[in-house]
Amino acid sequence: MTGLPLNVDWQQILLHLFNFTILFGALYVLLYKPVKDFMDGREAHYAEMDSAAEKALADAESSKETYESKLKSFDAEIKAERSKAGEEIDEEKKRRLEAAKTEADKIISDAKAEAEAEKGKIIASAQKDITKLISEAMEKLAIGESDKDVFDKFLDAAEGEDK
Amino acid sequence: MTKADRKKAIIVFAVLAGVFLLGSILTGGHGEKHETVQEMMQDAVMHELNKVSLFGIKDVNPGLIAAFVVSGILILFALICRLFVIPRFKLVPGKFQMLLETAVGLFDGMAKSNSHHLNKFLGAYIFTAGTYIFTGTIFELFGIQAITTNGHPISLPAPLADINGAIMMGCLSYLVIMSGGVAVNGIKGVGKALKDFSLPISMSFRMFGALLSGALVTELVYYYSALSYGLPIIVGVLFTLLHALIQAYVLTMLTSMFYGENAEKSEKKPKKKKAKDKTVIAEADQAASA
Repeated sequence: MTGLPLNVDWQQILLHLFNFTILFGALYVLLYKPVKDFMDGREAHYAEMDSAAEKALADAESSKETYESKLKSFDAEIKAERSKAGEEIDEEKKRRLEAAKTEADKIISDAKAEAEAEKGKIIASAQKDITKLISEAMEKLAIGESDKDVFDKFLDAAEGEDK
Repeated sequence: MTKADRKKAIIVFAVLAGVFLLGSILTGGHGEKHETVQEMMQDAVMHELNKVSLFGIKDVNPGLIAAFVVSGILILFALICRLFVIPRFKLVPGKFQMLLETAVGLFDGMAKSNSHHLNKFLGAYIFTAGTYIFTGTIFELFGIQAITTNGHPISLPAPLADINGAIMMGCLSYLVIMSGGVAVNGIKGVGKALKDFSLPISMSFRMFGALLSGALVTELVYYYSALSYGLPIIVGVLFTLLHALIQAYVLTMLTSMFYGENAEKSEKKPKKKKAKDKTVIAEADQAASA
């Protein structure tokens, strides 16, 4: 087209435009987009890492808080356990004491019964001996020994029995 | 390197530079120049003399050929990166990965900081525009040759030193800005963008002027062989690098700023109840006077 200043040519302008459009498309597809995608991907990757680290940190913080609260409640728990154990011990102690007392009572009553039985046995034996001695003494009196001899024999017999 | 080696290297360098200088002075008068400096500079602006055939279909400005070459180089580079570099990206980047990520991150960040809505598209656009302007401007440093329709060799200029390329970039950026407004605010967005109707012209001609002036200065310096020693390092390489950076930054920054401004959601203003207010005021006045 003639007549335009500086020899401006619309056809050449359109050819420049065509050239630039092709360049725009090619650079966008081949260079700009892949590089930008890579950069965005890397940014997302680091953001993900960052969020994961933040999450891990938050988890650690919450775990720390949980353990701290557990530690705090642990003292109370120990105290409760201790008092419970004390109560159990007291109960056991009481139970054992009662058992011991019962056993002691039983032993005493058994011993008493045994002693009574022994005493009865001894008394019976002593009565038997006395009866025997008296019968012997009566026999001797009937045979004719003096009172003094009989009495001496009775004492000797009694002494011998003591020994 | 020992002192003696360093001395030797400096002497060899100086001798070579001297030989080249002498050679250029001795052969200076015999070089064929098919155009004067005035014609060359006028052609850099007007593109009347030197045209390059586009596959025999049409004679076009060398800037358009440069645009195709730059795009080809960039697409090839992107393809190589896509096939061999990006699949080997690591979480901890290496030097080249860092370079790519910095480039993408820079434009993505610029888009995000300037526009809260639809910044994904904006990021991709300013990335392409920035890369194209920067690479296209650097491209003129390599002096890749093309043959004009007159049969003369010509070194390909920066694509945006061509007025058509600059107009395309300015107008496209304006359309992108407008599209942001339309996408967010509907028809109101067009109105918002139309307020800055001078934007495509200013953007186009700013870029055209900046790149053309760089190209003209470089052409001027290279035109005279006596100026081709030492000076091109500053006016050629450093200036080109600087305005490659500056122009890429300026256009992308302007586009993203205006885009962000247009893509801002407009708040509905509460309707003023003028009549009611007036009666309330009148009543208050009456009460005060009483």
